[in-house]
Amino acid sequence: MDYGETEDVQQVHAAIQREKTEPRVGLEPLSIWLIGIYGLAIFFGGAYLGRFSGSFQADGLDPQADMAAAVKGAGAGGPTVVAELGPVERGKKVYSANCATCHQANGEGVAGQYPPLAQSEWVLGSTKRLGMILLKGAEGPMTVKGAQYGSAVMQPWEKTLNDQKIADVLTYIRQEWGNKAGSVAPEGIAALRKEIAGRTASYREPDLKAVPDDAGLPGDNQPPAAAGGAPPPAAAP
Amino acid sequence: MTPAEIPLKAPSAAPVATSATEVTRSDVEQVERALIDASTRVPVLMFYTSAVAWLVIGTILAAYTSFKMHMPDLFGDVAFLTWGRVRPAHMNSMIYGWASMAGIGTAIWLMARLCRTTLRRPLLLVAGAAFWNVGVLVGLGGILAGHSTGHQWLEFPPYAAIILFVAYTLVVSWAVLMFQHRREGHIYITQWYLIGAFLWFPWLYGAAQIMMWVTPLQGVMQAAMAWWYANNIMFLWLGSIALGTAYYMIPKVIGRPVYSYHLAAIGFWTYALFSSWTGMQRLVDGPFPAWMVTASIAASILTIIPVATVGLNHHMTMRGNFGLMRYSPTLRFTIFGAIAYTVFSALGILLSLRSVASYTQFTQASVAYTHLGTYAFFTMTMFGAMYYIVPRLVGREWRNAGLIKLHFWSSAYGVGLMVLMLFVGGVMQGQDLNNTALPFTESTQTILAYLRGRSLSGMLLMIAHLIFAFHFGMMLFGLGRTATVPTFLNPQQDEAAQKSL
Repeated sequence: MDYGETEDVQQVHAAIQREKTEPRVGLEPLSIWLIGIYGLAIFFGGAYLGRFSGSFQADGLDPQADMAAAVKGAGAGGPTVVAELGPVERGKKVYSANCATCHQANGEGVAGQYPPLAQSEWVLGSTKRLGMILLKGAEGPMTVKGAQYGSAVMQPWEKTLNDQKIADVLTYIRQEWGNKAGSVAPEGIAALRKEIAGRTASYREPDLKAVPDDAGLPGDNQPPAAAGGAPPPAAAP
Repeated sequence: MTPAEIPLKAPSAAPVATSATEVTRSDVEQVERALIDASTRVPVLMFYTSAVAWLVIGTILAAYTSFKMHMPDLFGDVAFLTWGRVRPAHMNSMIYGWASMAGIGTAIWLMARLCRTTLRRPLLLVAGAAFWNVGVLVGLGGILAGHSTGHQWLEFPPYAAIILFVAYTLVVSWAVLMFQHRREGHIYITQWYLIGAFLWFPWLYGAAQIMMWVTPLQGVMQAAMAWWYANNIMFLWLGSIALGTAYYMIPKVIGRPVYSYHLAAIGFWTYALFSSWTGMQRLVDGPFPAWMVTASIAASILTIIPVATVGLNHHMTMRGNFGLMRYSPTLRFTIFGAIAYTVFSALGILLSLRSVASYTQFTQASVAYTHLGTYAFFTMTMFGAMYYIVPRLVGREWRNAGLIKLHFWSSAYGVGLMVLMLFVGGVMQGQDLNNTALPFTESTQTILAYLRGRSLSGMLLMIAHLIFAFHFGMMLFGLGRTATVPTFLNPQQDEAAQKSL
């Protein structure tokens, strides 16, 4: 490619000849107005940072989070973001997920098929008996609140639910739907689990009747109402 | 001002030597410049030619992307022509193909001139340009084939990024070599920006690649990383080159020293300091600690300092010479770019504020902002530099002043219309999106008219780029004018004024 090497030298280098010298730099001083602008920018930027920094918390998404409130909150209850659920609330979750299909959300069961839990003498009675049913399951026929239930089978839950969950759900069904009985502790379920570990079949009514009505589990807690001596109404019929 | 008021300056070059023994300093300088220009010819023209080719390709992809916004069924069942592939292809061909290659080409020439040394090892640069082209080509192919990584401006699949990095190593090793052998003791402002850009680019690109693919960041931090990169490739890489170029071209063309060294130094260091903190402001109300986002917003606010300083410096340098923009294509494009830098930064500060971002985030307004920076500021400055540099490389003058004027006005009106349409449309869109009573589909109806307007502005830009590519091609093939006077935009108007250019 010919870039004009053969042209007249003057003409080819005309651009170079006519161009100005390489740029130089003057030394004009800084204007006072410019310093004012710098000051304003720094002030405004700093104010913005302070206002919306969210107190520089590593986990704070709220840009206007108050430093004082954050410190106070940490002092009172630690950084507990989600309130801890009680055994009844946890038990309700377990119940909704596993039990409500048969025993229904209102604890009334289905007449003739699934026995009710509300005001049931089985629920309000011995916690040991209740724990045995839950761990190993139960087979009919059974009498609950004076009615016969025979066709359905309750599955064993020992492999599905851990001690904590069983204790929670038992506490829940003993204190919901107007039931007023004591809570069950996970240690009790653990002890029971060990005690009846050898059994493989589900329980039947005679096995369960053999357990005394006042047989409890370690860690059981009687509520004030029960301690007052009010008998479970379900036992009446 | 009337042409008569334009101050005439004494010719800078002393009279040509009258006898063989009488050689003036200016003669030596002229020979030196001629040698320097000759040594940079092949690599710079290679970078420029590739850049212009990528510009045309990127423009076609951009036009297609723009039309897809309001004609979504266009080639709807061709996988590689879907919007999600063509849009990143457009952005990457512009950033890595056009902008980076034009910037490197300009930087080579400026560095050689300012270091007063001929280009050593031009083959290193030719190889660099070749590798760079291969990298961009492979990257675009990867994107269209569906291998895009999905992070803005980092869409090139990692295998293309490696090629780009090899190419870049060749370029930067040359830059260091040239700076090492400089014969000019004084280091001019432009060199600060160029050396800065050459060091910042591998920092940005390397950090982004390593933190994305080698030891990947977890979860949302990837988004923080990607926006830091995208913002700073604009500021520290492209912006630095454009500012350095403006600092050379403005005083060079009007033949006057830059107003103040102090302003230049403050402008440079505050630019480097505050720009590198920005980027996270694009993630307002995202799942990030609030202080991270706010720190970026505060840094954006602080960029008022470099903008005001550099703007004032350029303005005071130009004062009394604005009339020369009637004649010099270089000056006209460069001043447009310099003014766009101020507008771009001001809009950037505005859009970063939390109260404004609640209307403009996730709307077309951020696209307006990006085009203001990459086109109105960077690309226009590069056009100015190319109008100055190319005649010195090919030894011919630009063929036709009419073509240059057409290019300028199509570009200026095109980008002006585009920014206006996208910004106004974006604010309307944001208002609709914030209105919970309005169904989402209605908000897309509001923006439609503005998107059509944007396509129109894209057509103007395409005309501008095709004209420029044609004109550039004529220069490349030796079809420029052979003349002792440069191509002025309004040659008939005032000869006295032209002499001062």
